[in-house]
Amino acid sequence: MADAAPAARALSCPNCGGTITLRAAGHSVTVACEYCASILDVSQPEVRLVTRYNEKASRLAIPLGTRGTLDGTEWETVGWMAREDSGYPWQEFLLFNPYHGYRWLIEQRGGWSLGEQLNVTPTGGWGGVTVDGERYQPFFAEGRAVVTDVVGEFYWRVKRGDSVRTDDWVRPGEMLSREVDDREVSWSRSRYLPAAEIAAAFGVSAQGKPWPPLPHQPSPVRPFLKGAIVIALLALAALIVGAVLTTGGRTLWQGSVDIAADGRDQEVTVGPIELTRPYQRVRVVAEVPALSNGWVDLDYTLVDRKNQRSFTASKAAERYSGRDSDGDWSEGDRGATADFAALPSGTYDLVVDYKGNNWVDPSKSGSNFWTFGAEEQTSDWRRGGINAPQANLRVVSRGGAGFGIFFLMLLLILLPLGVALIFHAQFESARRGESDFTGAGDEDD
Amino acid sequence: MLTLDCPNCGAPVTFRSASLPNRVCDHCRSMLVRSDAGVGVAGQEAALPFDVSPIQIGTRGRFAGASFEVIGRVRWSWTDGSWNEWLCLFEGGRHGWLGEAMGDFMMTFERPLAEIGSAELDRIARGAPAIPGRKAEIDDEELTIADAREVSCIAAEGELPFTALPGWTIYSVDLKAGSGRAASLQREGNEAWFYDGRYVTLADLGATNLRAIEGWTVPRYG
Repeated sequence: MADAAPAARALSCPNCGGTITLRAAGHSVTVACEYCASILDVSQPEVRLVTRYNEKASRLAIPLGTRGTLDGTEWETVGWMAREDSGYPWQEFLLFNPYHGYRWLIEQRGGWSLGEQLNVTPTGGWGGVTVDGERYQPFFAEGRAVVTDVVGEFYWRVKRGDSVRTDDWVRPGEMLSREVDDREVSWSRSRYLPAAEIAAAFGVSAQGKPWPPLPHQPSPVRPFLKGAIVIALLALAALIVGAVLTTGGRTLWQGSVDIAADGRDQEVTVGPIELTRPYQRVRVVAEVPALSNGWVDLDYTLVDRKNQRSFTASKAAERYSGRDSDGDWSEGDRGATADFAALPSGTYDLVVDYKGNNWVDPSKSGSNFWTFGAEEQTSDWRRGGINAPQANLRVVSRGGAGFGIFFLMLLLILLPLGVALIFHAQFESARRGESDFTGAGDEDD
Repeated sequence: MLTLDCPNCGAPVTFRSASLPNRVCDHCRSMLVRSDAGVGVAGQEAALPFDVSPIQIGTRGRFAGASFEVIGRVRWSWTDGSWNEWLCLFEGGRHGWLGEAMGDFMMTFERPLAEIGSAELDRIARGAPAIPGRKAEIDDEELTIADAREVSCIAAEGELPFTALPGWTIYSVDLKAGSGRAASLQREGNEAWFYDGRYVTLADLGATNLRAIEGWTVPRYG
């Protein structure tokens, strides 16, 4: 751009003769000489000395004239002020871009923020204020910010000792400040800059962890917490659903076998039973509907077709009933479940060895004519029906998770969340500790 | 559009707007005034002091759906600084002012005070001092007087609706509302003018043909 206008004007300090670069010509009213700290009036073409100082100027963290890009816009540092409020110091760099105006780069306790003047007035009061649809909670009230040192150029008349009354409101990541002097009320909004962002923009090594945290500094675990709570809830839901589903089990095989009336040992091989997971719990559920005053021995052997490895389990189904002086009684169960703890994957055959038994009450001899239920003594359940009684068998896969596993998973899900919550609470408590309002800065989003 | 020779230096000068009587000769900086009798010289304009304004004569943009071009400028000063008022000629012949102060921009349009009907403004227009902090109701919106001060013209360029010569001093009152609305009242003797508008950014205006400034990237809008 050959016809580009010059960006700066050089002038010499009327006190020390040092060459000063005026970077916001047309806007700037005051320049504090960077060599001798004298305050100059540059509002008129003729530079005028306002206050003479002969000091070695402060060494700035970011030298005047340094450029950096924030939010996609390039900024140049043109002025610097040190301010304090009842012993709490901070520093502010005035940033300028001829096309975008001014911004502020504010540093306190090693944490940085980018501020801008607002042309709209937030609405609300001490209960909280709103601007651009965002709600801010009160944090500091009735502070007094005093300028303690100044270097570079400013668009108003600035000098050491200038003071304004300040009030601040915060929301995570942002702060609203109101400054009142005898002439006007001005509002500004600043955004907390993560250490990496300020370091990349202006090459300053920011302290990533100012402590106590800045009033508007978002809790570092906040993004983690937001995600973690959602993930933990989802995981918990999945775990519960999974646990509910796996207790029901998946049927691998089901069928029935006849029980011989003579009580001989019987054997039947059923299958195949496909086990797909590396390890699983398998349950065999047997049900003998006709069982009465008798028992069925059930021995199961699962045999892997590939390598003939076998696993055994057994469980008898037994059921007794009768009548005595207290009335009818019954005990036992027509069903029986047998569990295999951890079966490796493979194709299995189930060998069932079983035997139906009838129970003969020794106290009731067949010849005892006087005994109640003498005729029952002769009723053998194995012979009761037209067809032979059956044992219904069902082989189910029971998933991996027992209750121990369930609680371990629960712990693994909740532990990091708990640690993060404790850290978050500590951070928030330290952050709010400095507020003039108890319970200020409550996060309600 | 009308092109004439400058009566002072003979350089060609162009009047783009038929409704604007004043024009500063780009060559000799004479303040020219057009009338039925022809073009006369009303005075000598000062050189504009160096600034880094991104606006220049010829900058274009849009505001409230209408496109405009910057055709003139007055630079004003007060005890604590100075600022630019850029004259924008809108399509259809209307004009507005793009104020540029402390890196902020506001677009305002002249409105007759009688139409506003604000007792506070009428009082100030009749010569009363404006007191910062006091309110004025305009179109059912409460505006606050932010500033009141004597201001002087430093210099001017391009086409203008009035003769703005260096040293011309008027009384200027700025008003603001929480909504971003901005207004001003200017008073000279018994006469007062009211301007109403709001804060804008160059991005809002979709500004093009911005002034190139060494070492800075000109933003692309529009």
